[in-house]
Amino acid sequence: MSMLMLEQTLGSRPQRSWTRVAAVGGLVLIAAFALVGPLVLPDPASQDLARYLQPPSLSDPLGTDDYGRSVASRVAHATRVSLLLALVCVATALVLGCVAGVASAWFGGWVDALLRSVSEAFVAVPALLVVLLVSALAAPGSMVALYVGLALVQWVEFFRVVRARSALVLGSPAVEAAGLLQLGWTHVVRRHLWPALRPLLVTLASLGTVTSILAMSTLGFVKVGLQPPRAELGLMITESFPFYDAAPWMPLAPVGVLFLLTVCLLGLRSPEEGR
Amino acid sequence: MNLKATGVVVRTGSLVLADVPEVRIEAGRALSIVGESGSGKSVLAHALMGTLPPELAAIGSLTIGDESFDLADRDGRRKLWGREVALLPQEPALALDPTMRVRAQVAEGAPGWSPRSVSAPRAADHRLGQVGLADAGGAYPHTLSGGMAQRVAYAAATIGGARLLILDEPSKGLDLASVDQLADLLLSHLDEGGLLLTITHDLRLARRLGGEVMVMREAAVVESGPAEEVLTTPTGDYTRRLLAAEPSRWDHPWMRSQAPDGSELLVGASGLAKAYAHGPVFEGLDLEIRTGERVAITGPSGAGKTTLGNALLGLTRLDAGSVTYGEGAGRGRLQKLYQDPALSFPQQVSLEKALGDVMRRHGVGEVEVRASLERLGLPYEILRRRPGQVSGGELQRIAVVRAMLPRPALVFADEATSRLDLVTQEQTVDALMSEIAESGAALLLVTHDTDLSAAVADREIAL
Repeated sequence: MSMLMLEQTLGSRPQRSWTRVAAVGGLVLIAAFALVGPLVLPDPASQDLARYLQPPSLSDPLGTDDYGRSVASRVAHATRVSLLLALVCVATALVLGCVAGVASAWFGGWVDALLRSVSEAFVAVPALLVVLLVSALAAPGSMVALYVGLALVQWVEFFRVVRARSALVLGSPAVEAAGLLQLGWTHVVRRHLWPALRPLLVTLASLGTVTSILAMSTLGFVKVGLQPPRAELGLMITESFPFYDAAPWMPLAPVGVLFLLTVCLLGLRSPEEGR
Repeated sequence: MNLKATGVVVRTGSLVLADVPEVRIEAGRALSIVGESGSGKSVLAHALMGTLPPELAAIGSLTIGDESFDLADRDGRRKLWGREVALLPQEPALALDPTMRVRAQVAEGAPGWSPRSVSAPRAADHRLGQVGLADAGGAYPHTLSGGMAQRVAYAAATIGGARLLILDEPSKGLDLASVDQLADLLLSHLDEGGLLLTITHDLRLARRLGGEVMVMREAAVVESGPAEEVLTTPTGDYTRRLLAAEPSRWDHPWMRSQAPDGSELLVGASGLAKAYAHGPVFEGLDLEIRTGERVAITGPSGAGKTTLGNALLGLTRLDAGSVTYGEGAGRGRLQKLYQDPALSFPQQVSLEKALGDVMRRHGVGEVEVRASLERLGLPYEILRRRPGQVSGGELQRIAVVRAMLPRPALVFADEATSRLDLVTQEQTVDALMSEIAESGAALLLVTHDTDLSAAVADREIAL
């Protein structure tokens, strides 16, 4: 028996990854907070100047801000906006990148040349600059501009990875055999491409969601993203700066949510990329 | 210096992989271990060398010259590696570093090597000259043929002056001429008083090396003795079966001496030419295959056999020439079997799903698939597994079943059995040829084994 075969038969499969379970659990908690929170917590825009910069209490678990608005309620709204927008961006980028990547590898020739040059043009420009350019074209604080900008930045990554992997799969003897057997393109996509791409896409999508959320809060932080009075994680951090000595708990909530989201999404990455 | 190992047992958990009471190697007299894949040959060699993977536990004792070692102790033999004991791994083309030139790679094993040493490259050139590759020092491994890569690996393994040489399947994938050259090198190693342990399923190589032969099956030695006795007049049943599995001794109902007359043209090619970067592979080649004919393309590795076969199936773009197809060779009627069947199935889905798509596409029912699997000695349940979980021989037979589902007019077998041991090869070729004989399809066989092509084909094209 060759040693290679032996190692394959003995090689234990990776055990159920506890980091992944914990990551999924964390994400479910954050999502529940983002979806249920806005329904049960008070209106994030209702001001009460009499309750100016109150510390955390039973009625306002995260305290109130400089307009007397409930921080907990604002964080819940901000998390909902960040999560939904990031998911829509990543879903758009994934579909766009996948279709373009597979088309590029499948047809080759001028299709490949065209798609590659378009993608390289995007790579040449820094990601945040693309988002800024798109935002500049639209009304300030436009959610659509932010969505288009982020999706435009992200599809390139999906495109490049999907194209490289698809080219390998489509050039393999297995796909050649499928061609000789006249199995058609649905078989190639379902049995060859999709199983090879799925683990990559899970990893890329979770990383892409992190990038989107961080890009959104970065833009909010420098005040070119979503505009007040809308609650946004980055914006909330900036808004709390003037009161760092009087209300140090104010930025903790948005920072904590960003941190947890990032860690959980990174923990979601597929552990078995190779096989 | 002689080698003696006693009470060698290798196990993983409770499963015994090799149980050999005694191994003796005398200086100047080869020991070859033959047997089917999975019989524990390689495991035994790695146990002696001390390179078993950590999941496997070995017990027993080993004496080399006047030094004794405990096989359970992995690190004790490390100091022997390269200087006293060397291992030539399977598929040397993969064992060489693709980014290093041959001379530097061979020089690394020389005694007294250091990054700036002047004598080591000189020693490497000398060693390369001895194996007949005086000009190859500046080449990168990917530019070498399989046989040349094998000799480079041999030079690299032996430059340290190791007297005990262990070879794991050295002839796998090599053509006859390259195996002959390798055998000459090994015989000269023996003449210089070296010790040689060869793991092989190539009985011709074992005969050439002479000396002693051990036949292994299911972790145990079933027969041993001098090569000329064991490999000509065996006493054990298994050894007899092994000898009968050599293509030159086959006797099967599908074998025939002549192609049937009066058949029509299936695939015709004229003026084919193809060149790769290093030069033309073939030029002005004319060829035709008629329905029901069995044609073999033979030649040394790198001669363009596979390229020609692919060109006839329309899988490779040609530089010049044209291929025409007869009426019988419509879409889906040309099928191919691959050298590595595991790569020819979708990797991540079960065989049942992969075959299910073919059955639906070509309107074949499960009953027929069950029947043909049964004819080839495979249970239907085996399809529940993925390609990587089935042995090479079984998977190649499943590939035969799959290739026959569209009722092909021509099956192109591209070195389909060159990685299999003799008994499995016979079983697989028998499976393929019975199906071919029953369906009346034509066969295009690409192989470097002229005995196999003589046994199977009506006609041989030597490249």
